[in-house]
Amino acid sequence: MGRMLEDVSKTILKECGIPVPGHSVISNSNEITDQHLSHPCVLKALVPVGKRGKAGAIKFANTVEEAKRKADEILEMTVRNFPVEKVLLEEKINIDEEWYVSITIDSQKQVPVIIATREGGIEVEDLVKDAPEKVVVFYIEPFTQLYPYQAKEIWSKLGVTGKPLVKAAAILCKLYDVFIKFDCYILEINPLVLSKDENVIAAASVMGVDDAALYRHPELEGKVESGSERSWRPLTELEKEMVKVNDADYRGTARYTEMDGGEIGFMCGGGGGSLLSFDALTNLGALPANYTETGGNPSEEKVKGLTKGILSKKGVKGLFVAHNITNNTQIDVMARGVVEALHELGINPKTFPIVVREAGVNDEEGKRIFLEAGITYFGEDLTIEEAAAEMVKKMKGVS
Amino acid sequence: MSILIDINTKMAVQGITGREASMIVSHTLAYGTKIFAGITPGKGGQHVQGVPVYDTVAEAVKEHDINASLIVVPPAFALDAVLEAIANGIKLIVVTTENIPQHDAVKLLHAARKEKVTIIGPNTVGLINPKDRIKMGSIGGDRPERCFVPGSVGVISRSGGMTAETSWMVKRAGYGVTTSIGIGGDSLIGSTIRDLLILFEKDDETEAVVTFSEPGTSFEEEAAKLLKEGGFTKPLISFVAGKFTESMPEGTVFGHAGAMISGNTGRPSLKMKALKESGARVIEQYDDIISVLQSELEAKVGEVK
Repeated sequence: MGRMLEDVSKTILKECGIPVPGHSVISNSNEITDQHLSHPCVLKALVPVGKRGKAGAIKFANTVEEAKRKADEILEMTVRNFPVEKVLLEEKINIDEEWYVSITIDSQKQVPVIIATREGGIEVEDLVKDAPEKVVVFYIEPFTQLYPYQAKEIWSKLGVTGKPLVKAAAILCKLYDVFIKFDCYILEINPLVLSKDENVIAAASVMGVDDAALYRHPELEGKVESGSERSWRPLTELEKEMVKVNDADYRGTARYTEMDGGEIGFMCGGGGGSLLSFDALTNLGALPANYTETGGNPSEEKVKGLTKGILSKKGVKGLFVAHNITNNTQIDVMARGVVEALHELGINPKTFPIVVREAGVNDEEGKRIFLEAGITYFGEDLTIEEAAAEMVKKMKGVS
Repeated sequence: MSILIDINTKMAVQGITGREASMIVSHTLAYGTKIFAGITPGKGGQHVQGVPVYDTVAEAVKEHDINASLIVVPPAFALDAVLEAIANGIKLIVVTTENIPQHDAVKLLHAARKEKVTIIGPNTVGLINPKDRIKMGSIGGDRPERCFVPGSVGVISRSGGMTAETSWMVKRAGYGVTTSIGIGGDSLIGSTIRDLLILFEKDDETEAVVTFSEPGTSFEEEAAKLLKEGGFTKPLISFVAGKFTESMPEGTVFGHAGAMISGNTGRPSLKMKALKESGARVIEQYDDIISVLQSELEAKVGEVK
């Protein structure tokens, strides 16, 4: 899942006929001129996270001086771990009402869902629980479109009437088209503003695109940060390195997330196997230095690159290599990759604690390679939790 | 007995000539599972490891009375492959493909629901019935016997790899499995834990079920609801991995819609609580599968039938 910055999503909305405020992007307050301030303006931190208003990263200005000062303030900020590098400058709308509308996929009902309310703003998720009568939740049958009458009914149920009803209905149909056309997993307008002059404008937009569908959207190249949906901070240097290791070869996966501190290098695999291995270590009071998921039969080069990355983190004093019993990942390939990484880094398994629990395809050969390198190896003679206990025992000698 | 697949299963493989399929086909045939036909457009008339290839599912169904399809095609072709299988009356479809666009997944699941077709996956390792030596998918790899031996326990796992590991734990406890199923790692899947528990409830040979779960989705919460309603009455032993994720920073909020729909579901601790309250045996340590399974099944032996 990949997020889009607001200027990019607004440009797409505009191209698709949805009214948005005039906007421009600056990375230095000197770029602000009289032209930007023909109307009062809004300054927003351009970062791929929500709740910017709450974080104080949305400000208003009436003069060029004020706008420059506030742009400088925002450019100094780090919003939820994301340092602000750019500011979105928009014309301020004369707001009468702030509405909310989103389109996403309800994973339980497995259909697209529209959520709309006239009470947009920052605490909108509480409305569903606290005042469900103020919210319309509308499911759309897959393979069909959102029909104009359906869009009209959604707003009408919320009490919208007159010119704004006609405009809001047309906008909602267009939003649904954008949602489908660009393979969005989320398209949210908050607020959808009803202006004093009875216009309906998408004042703030959140758009996320399914990165599994990017192959059919060459037009979005460079506009979506792939895999950014779950991030809580920008990638670290080492994480970026590991993305390169993963991308260098299509075979298998190597995902790497850095933890704060920790001393056990965590080289585990299988989605569930990694979760279980990490739980097992932390339950025993141990501190893994990273989280990893490898699997899907990675190449020796990928295993080596990942292992080297894991071991290069400062403070790592041991290595735990574990996997569920594999369906297709070859244990001999894993073994060669790990042993080669140790060799290149000049790490001696006699003094550096390493525990391996790898069983599955080609594990006899894998076992031979691990043992020959002097590494403590377990196959299916131990469970993952038992192997984790061995690892923790071994760490006692070094920490 | 088993669920979903047995000696009456007549399987075809859609995408049989691809690189992915070739390993699956050779392992499947070596295990003794019959593959009646393969489908790849433009490759009709060829043979893959002795299996006849057709251009269309319609031809394969006509020639071989196919009633189950294993889909091993790239993401861009998965939706169409599923629609083709459904259109030709196939009622069990196993979708191995990973990274299917969500919008396609929504469509294929919708089409399946409408026609009452059972979908396993997408993004699944598949399922296996060791008594009849029938498997659909990469499950078991080159040596299914290592982890999957016949017995009386059902296994349901969100993780492909842990389907094998969990079945191996059942074997280590001294038992075997009726059917082991990897339900697929995505949030949009055809058969959930709840759906499969309903089938295991009806299966006479299955005496207990073990589940392996992960953070995210509301599959465990739905399963708990089924237990509360009396829809599953056999012993259920559940493990939820990834408890450590709750002490990690959450992904930054991006929009409100997610929270508005799913609320608080997805956390391992809440899943465990829901399952516990519904009467499942929720284990804290994965290794406890062995002792808990032994105590549950021994207690059953003592029951007067």
